[in-house]
Amino acid sequence: MASVLEIKSLNKSFDGIVVADDINLSLPAGRIVGLIGPNGAGKTSLFNLISGVVKPDSGTVTLDGQRLDGRKSYERARLGLSRTWQNLRLFPSLSVLDNLMIAPRHYHGESLMRVVFVPGAVRRAEAESRAKALAVLERTGLAAVTYKPASDLTFGQQKLVGVARALMNDCRCLLLDEPMAGVEGQAYETIQKVVREVAQSGVAVCVVEHNVAFIRDLCDEGVFMFAGKVLARGAVGDLIADPRLTELYFGT
Amino acid sequence: MDYLYTIVILVGLYVVLASSFNLVIGYGGLISIAHPIFYAIGAYGSAILARDYGVPIYAAMIIGALIAVAASVLVALPSLRVSGDYLLIASIGFQLGLLEVFKNVSWTGGAGGLTNIPAALIGNTGREGYVLLVVVVAVLSVLLVRAIAHGPYGRALSAMRDDEVAFAALGRNAVALKVGTFALGSGLAGFAGALYAHYFRFLAPEQFEILQSSVILTMVVVGGLRTTWGPVVGAVLLQALPQAITFMNLPPSLLGPLQGLLFTGLVLVFMAVRPQGLVGAGELWSGSKKEVRDGVRP
Repeated sequence: MASVLEIKSLNKSFDGIVVADDINLSLPAGRIVGLIGPNGAGKTSLFNLISGVVKPDSGTVTLDGQRLDGRKSYERARLGLSRTWQNLRLFPSLSVLDNLMIAPRHYHGESLMRVVFVPGAVRRAEAESRAKALAVLERTGLAAVTYKPASDLTFGQQKLVGVARALMNDCRCLLLDEPMAGVEGQAYETIQKVVREVAQSGVAVCVVEHNVAFIRDLCDEGVFMFAGKVLARGAVGDLIADPRLTELYFGT
Repeated sequence: MDYLYTIVILVGLYVVLASSFNLVIGYGGLISIAHPIFYAIGAYGSAILARDYGVPIYAAMIIGALIAVAASVLVALPSLRVSGDYLLIASIGFQLGLLEVFKNVSWTGGAGGLTNIPAALIGNTGREGYVLLVVVVAVLSVLLVRAIAHGPYGRALSAMRDDEVAFAALGRNAVALKVGTFALGSGLAGFAGALYAHYFRFLAPEQFEILQSSVILTMVVVGGLRTTWGPVVGAVLLQALPQAITFMNLPPSLLGPLQGLLFTGLVLVFMAVRPQGLVGAGELWSGSKKEVRDGVRP
């Protein structure tokens, strides 16, 4: 299957603490890959390296053959990379709808020139993005809270808004950082359903999650990370059953 | 009558300055207090172009504002690429440094000030025409800032202030947004400066010092950060107040320091008693507030 995201020989250390140690990883189109590993294994750091929040010491990252490394975070998003955050990072001063409307891959409203000189085009783009945001909110079961401040929602709903916001990008690769932590009930079901649909549409999905049941239910395969290294890749059931990895996961 | 015109013009110009500064420091969240230097650049630029180079006054005013825009981009671009804190340092340095230049070169009139600036009159309408022009410019500035802050650009500014890292990861260019906001705010200040120059026909460097920064900052903070009418209320109130003090027949040596004390004192009082200013902004971005208020539902 065609690889969407390709990571080659990625290295990063902070003052001697290695968070990425020669990582090679490819994320194929249409598949959901789960990153498994204990705290401090470098899973979130890997997401930060891919999305440009943190600069690598060496190595390359490509998305659909285009180099991402060396580009700024916003440029990577504009090429079709989307992510969520472990700690949500929603915009509390915006309504749920506006949290989504700020997130299309290309946003006409951020150019002062366009806002002032071609207001008609900006208005049309706004209407389009509004319609799209309303559709995404419908799909994620958030329609009832469309106009509420994002900070007024329950934690589960906020997690859903994070995922919904990431979907506004029409991304080629979606990175989900602990989408399930603290989520239960309806929101849990919805996130699972939506992530599956996104993958089916040909997006490469990568999930960091501590909830092993969720990883097993959702992911097509798992990648085990430890101390900044990719140790193993394969069926999630096999990784969980491997006594060597279990020992690393739970510590000795 | 002339005295009244002067007050209306000053209030109008401060409305432009406070509204544009509100765009920078309020909506943009850009910490800079060097707004008066862009006011000065517009004023000096337009005055010198019209007086010494024969540029038609209204063209000179627009060029003056554009010079302020260019200068603001030169200050903002390198500092904002590093971090927001550098803008404060770089802009104050720029303000104090450039004023020193103005005081020490001959073509700005030096410390003695720039005199004989050509007066701008609209046909034979006399002063009334110019008063009207300033009022119109003030109203348009307020409406422009309001439209920008309540539209998609304002949504972006609001999100950027909340969380810049998440904002960038969504594909938004925070540096461009900040530079654009700073440039527009500074350009409006520059235009206000040009309007000032061709009415009062005299400019001195000390008009644009830190005291002026505190005046504009006080107007915005006391009026209400991130509100449409806060800066207007602040400008009217704080322009009227010093006029009232001048009627108290105090010795001139006391007037200046008293005004400075008054402005900084007001900021301190408001910080403690009413931090949101006279016109308080809501916590939610105003574009979305309107939808909630209007009861629009899917």
